[in-house]
Amino acid sequence: MSTETHEIPGARFMDPKVLARIGNLELVSHAVVDGFINGLHKAPYFGASVDFAEHRGYVPGDDIRRMDWRVWARTDRYYIKEYEAESNMNFSVLLDVSKSMDYGGKGIKKIDYGRIIAACLTSLVSHQRDRVGMAAFDSDVVEYVPPSAKHLETVMHVLDRLNPGRPGSLKEPLHKLAEHYGRRGVLVLISDLYEDPESVVEAVKPLRFRGNDVMVFHVLDQDELEFGFADASPFEDLETGEQVPVVPDSLRKEYKAMVQAHIEALGKSFSKVGVEYQLFDTSQPLDYVLFKFLSARARKSRRR
Amino acid sequence: MTFLAPLFALALAGLAIPVLLHLTQKEKKEVVYFPSLMFVRKIPYQASRRRRIQHWFLLLLRCAALALIIAAFTRPLWNRADAPIALGQGAREVVVLLDTSYSMGYGPRWAAAQSAARDVVARLGASDRASIVTFGSGTEILLRNTAEHSALNGAIATAKPGASATRYSPALKVAGSLLAESQLPRREVVLISDFQRSGWRGQEGASLPAGATLTTVPIQAAATRPNLSVTGVSLQRSRFANQERVTVTAGITNRSETAVMNQPVTLEAGGLQVASKTFSVEGGASTSVSFDPVTIAGRNYKGTVRLGEDALLADNAFNFVVSPSEPVHVILVDRGGAGSGLYIAQALAIGDSPKFDYVTRQPENLSDDDLRRTSLIILNDVAVGAPLARRLQKFVEQGGGLLIAAGSRAAWPREVDLLPATIGNPVDRSRGDVARVGGIEFGHPVFEAFRAPRSGDFTSVRVYGYRNLGPAPGAQVLARFDAGPPAVVERRIGAGRVLLWASSFDQSWTDLPIRSVFLPFVHRAATHLVAYVPSQPWATVGQVLDTSMAGAHKGQSVPTLVLTPSGNRLPVNGDGSEVIELSEQGFYELRGDTNSTGEMAVVASNVDPAEADLTTMDPQDIVAASTGESQSDGVQPTGTPQTPETRERGQRLWWYALLLGVGLLAAETVVSNRLKV
Repeated sequence: MSTETHEIPGARFMDPKVLARIGNLELVSHAVVDGFINGLHKAPYFGASVDFAEHRGYVPGDDIRRMDWRVWARTDRYYIKEYEAESNMNFSVLLDVSKSMDYGGKGIKKIDYGRIIAACLTSLVSHQRDRVGMAAFDSDVVEYVPPSAKHLETVMHVLDRLNPGRPGSLKEPLHKLAEHYGRRGVLVLISDLYEDPESVVEAVKPLRFRGNDVMVFHVLDQDELEFGFADASPFEDLETGEQVPVVPDSLRKEYKAMVQAHIEALGKSFSKVGVEYQLFDTSQPLDYVLFKFLSARARKSRRR
Repeated sequence: MTFLAPLFALALAGLAIPVLLHLTQKEKKEVVYFPSLMFVRKIPYQASRRRRIQHWFLLLLRCAALALIIAAFTRPLWNRADAPIALGQGAREVVVLLDTSYSMGYGPRWAAAQSAARDVVARLGASDRASIVTFGSGTEILLRNTAEHSALNGAIATAKPGASATRYSPALKVAGSLLAESQLPRREVVLISDFQRSGWRGQEGASLPAGATLTTVPIQAAATRPNLSVTGVSLQRSRFANQERVTVTAGITNRSETAVMNQPVTLEAGGLQVASKTFSVEGGASTSVSFDPVTIAGRNYKGTVRLGEDALLADNAFNFVVSPSEPVHVILVDRGGAGSGLYIAQALAIGDSPKFDYVTRQPENLSDDDLRRTSLIILNDVAVGAPLARRLQKFVEQGGGLLIAAGSRAAWPREVDLLPATIGNPVDRSRGDVARVGGIEFGHPVFEAFRAPRSGDFTSVRVYGYRNLGPAPGAQVLARFDAGPPAVVERRIGAGRVLLWASSFDQSWTDLPIRSVFLPFVHRAATHLVAYVPSQPWATVGQVLDTSMAGAHKGQSVPTLVLTPSGNRLPVNGDGSEVIELSEQGFYELRGDTNSTGEMAVVASNVDPAEADLTTMDPQDIVAASTGESQSDGVQPTGTPQTPETRERGQRLWWYALLLGVGLLAAETVVSNRLKV
């Protein structure tokens, strides 16, 4: 992936091929995410709209402008008219920018891969008139853009200038962010999830508390999955700086088994708490991965 | 086995390198940055794995490769007596090739060459045999397969530089044939020469028998005096007061590095010095000297341009022979009138080489005396009666030339079989398309000059009328008209030739006379019919002299004797045909009678000027080309014990060790890559 800066900030994430491939899917329905397309779903809250929903009895404190005077004239009772609010959905990407994301073995770095996913989804959602926002975190919240229908460019700017630099953790920053996402929406967490599966689920859970639909995109490099190193070398942890002499041939098998167990544990744990989990290998085509994931979301939605 | 450079063996300590590589360098020093060692930390680390040699084969391969390369540098050699190259065993057959080209007369070179040859003879063992072969452009075996030192030294003493140029290939071939006949176990050639670059033109098939060795002895002693040479002369003829004169201009080259000032150069003519001049020339430069015109006193007038003494005498004189130009006598037989003979006469009047001296005769006025004096008769559209035809037949059979233009009046008696074709009825092509000349035999001497593009176009000649020709047996059609009938036909009769042109030599039937090809056509036809050969003022040593061609004119007796410059008398065959190689510098005289003092012809012989260029070559080129090796396998012709260096050079064990070492390294690369995979 090229790291050059384009004239339009964030434009490098708007890969037309990727967007075109996703656009070919039947994403136009709420099957993918509630409220992705404006007007095709009904909001669970009542609000200002033109579609009448129901009458309810007046209680002191209600705005008298919303009182149905015709009903009062016929029945001599005070009723308030309520309308269905065609509210737009909140969509936010939570991107892990810890130092471990700054790794790219033979191809694209994980942070860039995450950036692309974030940009593509944000762009897609924004085109459906929904509100978009984002947050970046390492051991703390680094950037926060609240969801808004006008925040597409802001999100792109922030994504563009993000640089991983510090060690990361999940619990503290995600708990902080959970307080910001009070209104129901869709949250996408992009991270390499280098913590115990229990800790990861504990960190993500609060995001679900307010009814948010949470998706976890687990991004790993091919080297992290296959451990395809040939020569014995000292290995240095990107976040801690710790060095360990490693003979790859001798521990490849054990390493791969542990990583596989980690991934399976994450999948099961997230499934229990109703979080959609998907592993992304940075060597896989991006559009294919998004297609696969959103198709799975669509099937899930139909089942509901 | 011993080693010429044993100190290189210290490098064997380097064998520890691959061992250390195996033991300590299994781990790369480059740090690999990894996102998280969360999982790696959980796996127990096996440090002991690196301290064990895992690939013994790879280690042995690396050590063996290094050991072989080091061994190559130590230059090993066998000490065994039965080593691959026989060292000083058995009798020798030695061929001494002694360069006797004239460049060996440069300064002290010849004395040095003789001394070197005597040294070779002196080193011959009791059972050795030797041959002495001198060579220049040719080769002469002075002494063949003898063990007598006195005879060999005598042959060396009698040899002396000649006048020829150097040619190595013939000498090597002769040496090869001498060695091939020998039964002795060791066969050697010793080449003693100044190794001029001009003497070697590549291999030329000169290769010695297998196992034979070639040792070169360069003789390149330098002279203190400069070396000047006369490279050639140009002769410019002129006429003055009814006498023919020649202006001689000599080209002189200074082959040495130093300039010469005011050196004398003389011109000798007829045996007398007639002019002398001085010249100056820079080192490595050339100049020319022109002498005043000299009157050519008679036939075979001998001339010599001569320089003063210098380091190399042979190239200081340049000989030439000039004779008064002799015109070709031509009789133009013509009826006259209407300018029919105008064009042919004008064509004959032009030109100096040769000059045509022509007279015009009516057919009935052609006398026997005319026929005796002339070389060529041109019948320009005349009717010939039988008596004249018979006389012309006799004239042609004796070597005369006959050129016939068959115009409208041409006629020839049937009973006289002389013409190359019968002259048939006229064909009128003045209406419609005119006839064109084509189908020309450009290989024939008459038309050879028109072969190249833009050197004369016969197809542009328009022919409005011609006579139908029926070629006689043995006649050659040299050109045809576009419709197919012959246009030019030639026939040999006895010693002479007849050429028949099917149209006229005036504009009545063709525009040939006003075309540019007419003049060269007439001249070529005339010189061909009289077998004119321009005289060469000089020849070069090494060329051959054909006595039958040298100045033997019609009516003259054949030469019976050749007098060489050194005074030797060489008899010639009865028919006067003898081929003699010019081997001396000077004048070869061809005489008709043993007792006669007057010469029939004289040929000036000069040395090859290329031989005066003493630029040397690398003798190893000859060794490599003739033996297929760069040096003579370490066998020294001296018979002295060989030094270890010589033996090592002959065995070349280092080469095999190096080759094997490099091969093992290549194998190591392949094996190590496979193991990594």
